[in-house]
Amino acid sequence: MRLLYSKKTIVVLLLAVTTLSFVLFTKGDRVDYSTQVKPIINKNCISCHGGVRAKGNFSLLFREEALAKTKSGKYAIVPGDPDNSEMIRRLTLTDPEERMPYHHEPLTKEEIDLLSRWIKQGAQWGENWSYVALKPIEVPMPKKFFGLVNTTSDWAKNEVDYFILDKLNQNNLNPSPQADKTTLLRRVSLDITGMPAPQSIANKFLNDESNHAYEDLVDSLLASKRYGEKWTSMWLDLARYADTKGYERDDNRNIWRYRDWLIKAFNKDMPYDSFLIKQIAGDLLPNATDEDYIATAFHRNTMTNDEGGTDNEEFRTSAVLDRVNTTWNVLEGTTFSCVQCHSHPYDPFKHEEYYQFAAFFNDTRDEDTYADYPLLRIYNDSMQQQLTEVVNWVRNNTSQQRAKEVKEFLKTWQPAYNSLACDSFTNSELNDTKWASFRNNAICRLQHVDLTGKSHLIFRYQGWMDGGVWQIHLDDVHGKVIATIPLAKTSGWQITETDIEPATGMHHLIFTYTNSNLQKPTDAGAMLDWLYFTQPFPGKDQPGYTAVKNEFWKLLNADVPTTPVMIDNPPAMHRTTNVFERGNWLVKGDKVLPGVPHILNPFPAKQPRNRLGLAMWMISKQNPLTARTMANRVWEQLFGAGIAETLEDLGTQGIPPTHPELLDWLSYQFMTEDNWSIKQLIKTIVMSATYQQTSKLTPELQQKDPFNKLYARGARVRLSAEAIRDQALCIAGVMNDKMYGPGVMPYQPPGIWQSPWNSAEWVQSTGGEQYRRAVYTYWKRSAAYPAMLTFDAASREVCTVRRINTNTPLQALTTLNDSAFLDLARHFAYRMQNEGGENVVQQIKKGYTIVTYHNIDNKSLAALLKLYNTAYEQFKADKQKVYEIIGGVNEHTNAQTAALTVVANAMLNLDEVVTKN
Amino acid sequence: MTQQELHNQRLLREAEHAVLRMHTRRHFIKESAMGLGGLALATLFGCSQKKSASPIVFDPAHPLAPRQPPFLAKAKSVIYLHMAGAPSQLELFDYKPELAKMDGQLCPPSLLEGKRFAFIRGVPKMLGPQAKFAQHGESRAWVSENMPHLASIVDEISFLKAVSTDQFNHGPAQLLVHTGSPRLGRASLGSWVTYGLGTENENLPGFVVLTSGGKNPDAGKSVWGSGFLPSVYQGVQCRSEGDPVLFIKDPDGMSRDLRKASINAINEVNAEEYKQYNDPEILSRISQYEMAYKMQISVPEVMNINNEPQYIHDMYGTKPGQACLANNILLARKLVEKGVRFVQIFDWGWDSHGTDSSLAIDIGFINKCRQTDKAVTALILDLKQRGLLDETLVIWGGEFGRTPMMENREGKQNPYKGRDHHTEAFTIWMAGAGVKKGFSYGETDEIGYSAISGKVDCFDVQATILDQLGFDHEQFTYDFQGRPFRLTDVKGRVIEEILV
Repeated sequence: MRLLYSKKTIVVLLLAVTTLSFVLFTKGDRVDYSTQVKPIINKNCISCHGGVRAKGNFSLLFREEALAKTKSGKYAIVPGDPDNSEMIRRLTLTDPEERMPYHHEPLTKEEIDLLSRWIKQGAQWGENWSYVALKPIEVPMPKKFFGLVNTTSDWAKNEVDYFILDKLNQNNLNPSPQADKTTLLRRVSLDITGMPAPQSIANKFLNDESNHAYEDLVDSLLASKRYGEKWTSMWLDLARYADTKGYERDDNRNIWRYRDWLIKAFNKDMPYDSFLIKQIAGDLLPNATDEDYIATAFHRNTMTNDEGGTDNEEFRTSAVLDRVNTTWNVLEGTTFSCVQCHSHPYDPFKHEEYYQFAAFFNDTRDEDTYADYPLLRIYNDSMQQQLTEVVNWVRNNTSQQRAKEVKEFLKTWQPAYNSLACDSFTNSELNDTKWASFRNNAICRLQHVDLTGKSHLIFRYQGWMDGGVWQIHLDDVHGKVIATIPLAKTSGWQITETDIEPATGMHHLIFTYTNSNLQKPTDAGAMLDWLYFTQPFPGKDQPGYTAVKNEFWKLLNADVPTTPVMIDNPPAMHRTTNVFERGNWLVKGDKVLPGVPHILNPFPAKQPRNRLGLAMWMISKQNPLTARTMANRVWEQLFGAGIAETLEDLGTQGIPPTHPELLDWLSYQFMTEDNWSIKQLIKTIVMSATYQQTSKLTPELQQKDPFNKLYARGARVRLSAEAIRDQALCIAGVMNDKMYGPGVMPYQPPGIWQSPWNSAEWVQSTGGEQYRRAVYTYWKRSAAYPAMLTFDAASREVCTVRRINTNTPLQALTTLNDSAFLDLARHFAYRMQNEGGENVVQQIKKGYTIVTYHNIDNKSLAALLKLYNTAYEQFKADKQKVYEIIGGVNEHTNAQTAALTVVANAMLNLDEVVTKN
Repeated sequence: MTQQELHNQRLLREAEHAVLRMHTRRHFIKESAMGLGGLALATLFGCSQKKSASPIVFDPAHPLAPRQPPFLAKAKSVIYLHMAGAPSQLELFDYKPELAKMDGQLCPPSLLEGKRFAFIRGVPKMLGPQAKFAQHGESRAWVSENMPHLASIVDEISFLKAVSTDQFNHGPAQLLVHTGSPRLGRASLGSWVTYGLGTENENLPGFVVLTSGGKNPDAGKSVWGSGFLPSVYQGVQCRSEGDPVLFIKDPDGMSRDLRKASINAINEVNAEEYKQYNDPEILSRISQYEMAYKMQISVPEVMNINNEPQYIHDMYGTKPGQACLANNILLARKLVEKGVRFVQIFDWGWDSHGTDSSLAIDIGFINKCRQTDKAVTALILDLKQRGLLDETLVIWGGEFGRTPMMENREGKQNPYKGRDHHTEAFTIWMAGAGVKKGFSYGETDEIGYSAISGKVDCFDVQATILDQLGFDHEQFTYDFQGRPFRLTDVKGRVIEEILV
């Protein structure tokens, strides 16, 4: 992976470059829509003339709208003829009732001139920078100029730096020198692996004087398993991952295999295009593996509402729209949610385009069921073996198609009708608005069931009273009875089967239920979960039938772990998508088909109009947003702010990129030359001189660039919530390296979990599980782990595109007083004693080096020593306090260790420790 | 605008931002016990002070600095008492003798057609008021026997009797009341207020949340979340059991002066760090640690109700040591007295469906009323006697109302008398700063089903609260995802009718 960067001696004349760029900028009189016209329109006109509102029938959002006749009968814009364009006339009037912008400050003469020239030149609409496909970008190599030598010529290490230098030169700024080795070590370790590098990697780097020492360090960090954990932490905010379902009841959800999938994908540097295809449409890949299915849990991280009395269709719809919004926000850097209610006020997206896009996600099997169906059933190896045998037997004795059906059913219990789709209830109701339940003489209806070729029913139900008889009628309560099924009392849910009389076509099924054993008219006798219409188990006359069928039922009933996944509806269960008028899901407008916004790259011609085709559209080299969004995000992770600061909005209302050419260069490189390798993208950035600069702030920079938009210094950013915990675990020397598995529960104060109708409790993990990395912490949406929330972690009810760092006293209180942190301080104190020698000065020095990799300065040492002595005097005089701070009686219960624990606690709170220098 | 001009405009904005940062830091350095002033003052002199209160700039270094509202404010602080689960207006304030006559009759189809209910299925029966009503005070306000104490202070209160919502499930409806949207992701009322006004008392959070009833509200912590606003503006949950604020208590074995010594050591090392890096964020962290230390004293102090005189305990009906509503209401008074801007109270357990006795409208509901009645009455009287009622806005209500029909869950009779969720009309009352005394606005039809006059919705209530705090709800915005967001979305009308 080693990169070779030529370090040319480069000559540049600052003044000349500045002049040159000025000349370039004003070249010709061609007015640029995106950079010159659009800002004026967005600021002054669009709130009344575009998107939601088009006053006087005039909208500036799309060219065809703007050129149309307005309400007054006049044309606001006549391309080529500003004098006859009503817009220009109205901008220049004096009557305040007539002059535009209405009742606001008039435009300046320069602005009006510019608009006139633009109309004169044909009033062409341009596109926002981010909607234009990426193309190769020329690196602004400094040129030799009159033989003058630029002092910063040696500074640049790779292409990134030339873009940065270019802008610095324009602003008469010089870059900062490289940070010292220990600072760089800590910075790049935290950035790549989310925690300090282990001592072995650190020592190798610190002792390596060769010129490839840093690159070796970067390579070993990228190769570390800890890398995947760090970047997964980031992705979990985007995926709105949590271990609970959200909303009122906020019950547990087993979806951690998706988290583990991410870690593995990052660690093996799965190319970003595959990474997206699998998460959007892994289930639709030919020969999809379990892992491919698990990847689709990305969009099963939407919330499920188990609150009694909620309309399941409302929250199913809500989840679908969340998938649309998340896909755009997170993967395409676009705020699309406004388009849910109306055409985008600023960006060229139309109202119906939102629903065309929603149609890709609206045809999946999930329906806000309590169980979170569809679930991937995860069999152990021997069961998997049996499954393969069953499927092979079916294939050999019947058909490929039948085998596929059997496999899908065993793996997912799909495609089944959920009983919550029933309606028209009499003596019957959805139990807790979740499952169709029957009282005596119950009637209810299940609509639109395709019975063609079906003569068998497998269903899951619970019976509370023996003697129940369930009948299925075709289309009418007096219609033909196609099945009469006794429903016995069960202990819990049970899957069973029955033959049904064959029928063809779509039918409404009317269910009746009678049970004379039910004493009271209000007593329910049974409830249904799902119904799977099929054919009898195939190959009845073939040898081995009975054994295979038994095997089939064993697998079907097996209590196995599951993960929610995406599965599309079969054609017979197809769900149409309509525009929601003004975003209201109850008011359905025109029917739409799956499609992508017209402004972006066309949908790939040969791809199916489903999620898989959508994923192919996203990763198309013509898609202008996918690569830019990710490159911008990776930059943000490393520098604390994106090149375009608003990661969630690269559109016209987002903050424009500080270095657009650099962003485009990185993005293009990422998707072409580097073949979507995220590791390579990270490496390119961290190998740059820009990244390696010291973050020390000079008075000049403080004044000229207080927010480091020009990158004349390194980034100085507070650590993420996860890194603060992980670093403390490392410093204390207790981190449990174990990877994967269900969420763990480190110490949390009692009384945090109080969800209504939910008795789940936080049970602190033991046996070292409490010391696992933050990425494995159990995440409950309505009451997330408080110590991390305080440090700006997201509750993950919906996606969080970027966290905004704050600095509050509650953060100080957390790292000072949280028992979890005090426990780590104790272990850190023991470690200082073990590794630092007898002398307390040596111990503190050692501790400081463990924390920062470098030596402590005298004043800081004096301050910590003073604290030690104060503490020591107190503890010497008060044994009870020693006992309390150490947390019991053990070999550490002495005044020295107690005092050193206080020092360790202070050290975990240093600015230098919670910050990346 | 040219690219260069755009750029210049941004630089100008950043410069203003920087000035503000420095201004707030100067404030801190003057107060700093660390004597760090000398370090930074040189860079601070020469900055012009900016007086204008708008627009609000988020200053990560001092996000809670007190700010003036853009308009004259009548209220300095707000106490919002939310009875989570939704109390029945028909057993409290909305007296409907006609409904009594219909008790036990089948519900007319006109009330059911085209309506969606959470649990009512088929045709339910009507349920007459399950409490006796009488008129009280000079305002002759109807209050039921369930609120005997409150009945004595109706002349301090403005009732809104025709509040409506469009959400009939608890979670979404609570979110709508507090964040202006039934979906997650928006900022709560209290966080908006803290964002706009900062906090008066830097040793206490600006937005405090107190919960009782044994459960968090249905919508979880999002009802006091900061949504798209910086997380520093989210409500800080204070608790009557355990640490009053998470992690506020020093670890066992750590004495106060040892904690002081350790914060001093941390800040001394940080000061060395600042010398090297010159990053103003370091100064900010130093001040946050100072503040944390002060909060460790001030929060437990204000959260301790034991020092209140006995007559106050009697007045509120407190139960020291328990997480109960009365304690929280007394705490609310203490907190606003100390300069906390927004106190949000949630009391869980008002969901009177009739599915068990604790949720029966004639059993459990009466117990809930007893828990709130005495304490909330005491709050109004106590604020008044301290001269705080004029500057404190008190709001009491739920997320929706209850149906005039008896609930028939899954189409069958519930074991106890109960009412389902009702969106079309319910009662919220307000008192204090700027609100008319002894007034009632809005009327419902003769069975309390729909509003017939003075209909308002959650957005109107939010607009009114912001108005009393000195904000125009249409102009009080935060830019997020490329557009300005406001609490009231595209709706909201200040309910001038109930304002003085």
